[in-house]
Amino acid sequence: MAGNRRHHLQIPVARQGVRVRGIRAYLIRLSGLFRRKKFEHDLSREIESHLQLHIEDNMRAGMSASQARRQALLKLGSVENVKESYRDRSYVPALETILQDIRYGLRQIGRNRGYTAVVALTMALGIGANTAIFSVVNAVILRRLPYPQADRLMVASLVNVKDPSFLVSYGVADYLAARERQRSFTKLAGVSWADSFTLTGTAEPLRLRGSAVSAEFFSVLGVRPALGRDFAFGEDTPGHTREVVLSDRFWRQGFGADPQAVGRTITLDGDSYTIVGVMPAEFHFGAFGATENGDIWPLMQIVPRNARYPFSLRVVGRLKSGVSESQARLDLAAISRDTQRQFPGPELSGASIEPLQTEITGKVRPALLILLGAVGLVLLIATVNVANLEVARATARGRELAIRAAMGAGRLRIARQVLTECLLVAVLGGALGLFLAYWCVRGIVAMAPAGIPRLAEIGVDGQVLAFTAAISLLSGLLFGLAPAAHGLGSSLDETLRGGAQNLAEQREGRGLRNSLVIVEVSLSLVLVAGAGLLLRSFEKLTGTSPGFNPKTVVTALLSLPPTRYKDDKDIVSFYSRLLDRVREVPGVVSAGISMNVPPDLVNMWNPFWVPNQPLVPGRSLPQAVETTVSPDYFRALGVPLLRGRLFGDSDKGQHDPVLIVNESLAQRYFPGEDPVGKRIKTGDPGFIPTSQWETIVGVVGDVKYGGLDSASEATLYVPYFQTYWPAFSREMFLVVRAESDPKSIASSLRAAVRELDRDMPLADLRTMNELLADSVAQPRFRTILLGIFAGLALTLSAIGVFGVMAWLISRRTKEIGVRMALGSSRGAVLRMVLEDGLRVALIGVAIGLVAALASSRLIKGLLFGIQPADPGTFAAVSLLVVAVILAACYVPARRSTKVDPMVALRYE
Amino acid sequence: MGERKDVWQGTLALMALKTLEADGPLHGFGIGRRIEQTSDGELSIQYGTLYPALLKLEQEGYIASEWGASENNRKAKYYRLTRAGRKQVQKEERQWQETAAIISRFLSPGKESA
Repeated sequence: MAGNRRHHLQIPVARQGVRVRGIRAYLIRLSGLFRRKKFEHDLSREIESHLQLHIEDNMRAGMSASQARRQALLKLGSVENVKESYRDRSYVPALETILQDIRYGLRQIGRNRGYTAVVALTMALGIGANTAIFSVVNAVILRRLPYPQADRLMVASLVNVKDPSFLVSYGVADYLAARERQRSFTKLAGVSWADSFTLTGTAEPLRLRGSAVSAEFFSVLGVRPALGRDFAFGEDTPGHTREVVLSDRFWRQGFGADPQAVGRTITLDGDSYTIVGVMPAEFHFGAFGATENGDIWPLMQIVPRNARYPFSLRVVGRLKSGVSESQARLDLAAISRDTQRQFPGPELSGASIEPLQTEITGKVRPALLILLGAVGLVLLIATVNVANLEVARATARGRELAIRAAMGAGRLRIARQVLTECLLVAVLGGALGLFLAYWCVRGIVAMAPAGIPRLAEIGVDGQVLAFTAAISLLSGLLFGLAPAAHGLGSSLDETLRGGAQNLAEQREGRGLRNSLVIVEVSLSLVLVAGAGLLLRSFEKLTGTSPGFNPKTVVTALLSLPPTRYKDDKDIVSFYSRLLDRVREVPGVVSAGISMNVPPDLVNMWNPFWVPNQPLVPGRSLPQAVETTVSPDYFRALGVPLLRGRLFGDSDKGQHDPVLIVNESLAQRYFPGEDPVGKRIKTGDPGFIPTSQWETIVGVVGDVKYGGLDSASEATLYVPYFQTYWPAFSREMFLVVRAESDPKSIASSLRAAVRELDRDMPLADLRTMNELLADSVAQPRFRTILLGIFAGLALTLSAIGVFGVMAWLISRRTKEIGVRMALGSSRGAVLRMVLEDGLRVALIGVAIGLVAALASSRLIKGLLFGIQPADPGTFAAVSLLVVAVILAACYVPARRSTKVDPMVALRYE
Repeated sequence: MGERKDVWQGTLALMALKTLEADGPLHGFGIGRRIEQTSDGELSIQYGTLYPALLKLEQEGYIASEWGASENNRKAKYYRLTRAGRKQVQKEERQWQETAAIISRFLSPGKESA
């Protein structure tokens, strides 16, 4: 034997690894699928002839005819086994048995329509809810933004290196420096914070959505206009003609899709702009924080300034290939460090970048993921429920399965059969669920609050279909495993001999079913607890006082274009005449103007300095919301005056500036003192030592400018008229308090504005109650959705408990009959059954409480005014779950007391 | 009858091939009986297990089958070795002997070290 040859220790024939042979055999077997009849026939004939040959042989050896036949049969082995293993070889066994199982499963489904309907509907609820939420998550978070290689698009912000979490937009000086010197992006585009423009020259002045953009904007996004041309680089500086690109929608509505629109001019905010292009219909870019697409994108006029203020540019860039996010961040940080050295002002010597997608969708991400998790739990509960039903059915089918096993079906084979049936039902449920999801998605989109980005993109698409298919199969596999395992475990001849009365098996089935119910109860407790926490915080949120009386208040936005209102004299004159006129409108109680309105429209923060605090260079000063208001603003909004006085006509601005502060500022920076009469300085910390002293004349109540859920911020009010403010803030909110219904005065307000300036639109006319409702729309949305899911979960669990109790009681009918025959009262029987249910409920609640406590931390960010482990909520939720479970037990339990002992004893 | 050895599925195929090589075309019953005879009654075959093994060999192309008449004029399915089967027998035989030699060296180490 050749000494250096290596041998694999193997049974030689088992190594028929000649690939070609294997493939050949497989193909023959595959073709065998279509020639089954012939195969079966051949095999029968061959076995027939084998037996005859053997019998003859035996008889030649001297056996009697019957003995010869018996011997031949024994030697052959079980004919059915031979046929079965021959069949396994004849065709592709996996494929063949799968087809066979599917046929059999479909027959089972057809035979048990009621049962199948219950299971499919349960699964449809779970799968439908999941599909619906997944299609939202998919569209809002997962799918890429509709730009080529959208994952390379980044948004840059300035940061204070000492507090990198606080992002500040770019200023013009920073943007110009970065645009020139950066090496990490193909180009860097600037987008203004402004989100709307007034179109005039048309029959009615029109408010258009859109942000001014730098010349690079469209090429950074990688989308070219469908009509006309893109902006040319370098045209975004003063001296060039003003140009604008239109959205497809505005082009269709405003110009009837006229190709000649390109080249025409339109008037925006009083300036005339030439239309150079129209974007394709699928292009979408909203203003910061806005979800709606823009109507227009005017070319920005970038005027270099000798200061970094104001920080009002959103900077978007496309990373060069091979450049990482952190390299780009270092690149930009170095530039802002240099800019910091060049200009005095706030400490912003770092940079931060994040994907555009995160910037757009980051805010809603946690809530959506939590909803997805919640709805996943609902599916899990549905699955457990069905698993429970399947175990019950497997027990009931014990005899059928045992007979099949006796006929020669292997255990695995039977388990596979049961699993196939479950998968079929799951697929049916998935199809129904998809149907359900289609309507759910429409409902969600209709109900969704403004501020959820990319809503229009939500729909059922290929990814969603794949998701649905995957979760259907997965849940089918899950609920199929329980009965399959159960079938594997049961002993064949015991089942056949003892029928379904086999005590050991019954106990085992009962244990499995009880644990499944416990799982269900604990999962639904987690969901109900989450929903309870959200509900409590929503109550607290809507119960929070906004700091004013919102009833009968209406607000609207006015913005005076610089072309027609050249200086502050024009602006002051317009606003004072407007306020005079509005006050004369019948039904108006008082009217004022303000740069900010509650509840969630903070426009400006300003640092301030209280002289009893040391001024340390480099250390940041406290910030306050600063807003400029007309004297009657407080009366119109209903903000209480706590000390001192409100502004009056005597507050003659420049030489003796005055301020009103809110209660929080007074308490925080003048503790134990009366702030009225005290003086502070406001503005850029670099200038604070030289800026003017301002005297506090009054203290008013706190108003929530940063949303109802925000903490009370320090707030400064400064008078609008007779100061430099009109030139700085020509866009002001009109705040009007009506006697009764604020809607009734809307048309009079419009008329009043039109009388003064027929080209001035009155935008965003909203009642304060609407604004408040809008500001809590997202919490309301997620509270409602989570509430629905929790309700669904609890209902499914109740059904599960009901099913198990009914089953247990039907199994115990005989026992109950005996008890009653021996003199047990109906009450005692009822109590005994309910105690069983209560035990299951309590164990489930106990496990659920632990899980809920652990997971409630996940929703901490969504809670307001309540701790994630709020004992009140948890107690209430536990009681609710126990009550529901007991109620679900009560119906079958009551039925058990109606048992007639005689009937029960004869039962089975 | 004493203790007869059961036959491994894999070796059964080799035995069937070898039988066909030695005796020429045979029906299933004949193959089974021949194997038992060749083993001097040491092996006992459950004849039923033979047919799936024969089908497998046929699918792999080592043997071919056709219906014919038996020695006493019974219809029976006859199996014969194909050319591929002949090569396979030689290959399997060689491998089997090599493996058996290795195993036996393990089982009687005295000879090896001598």
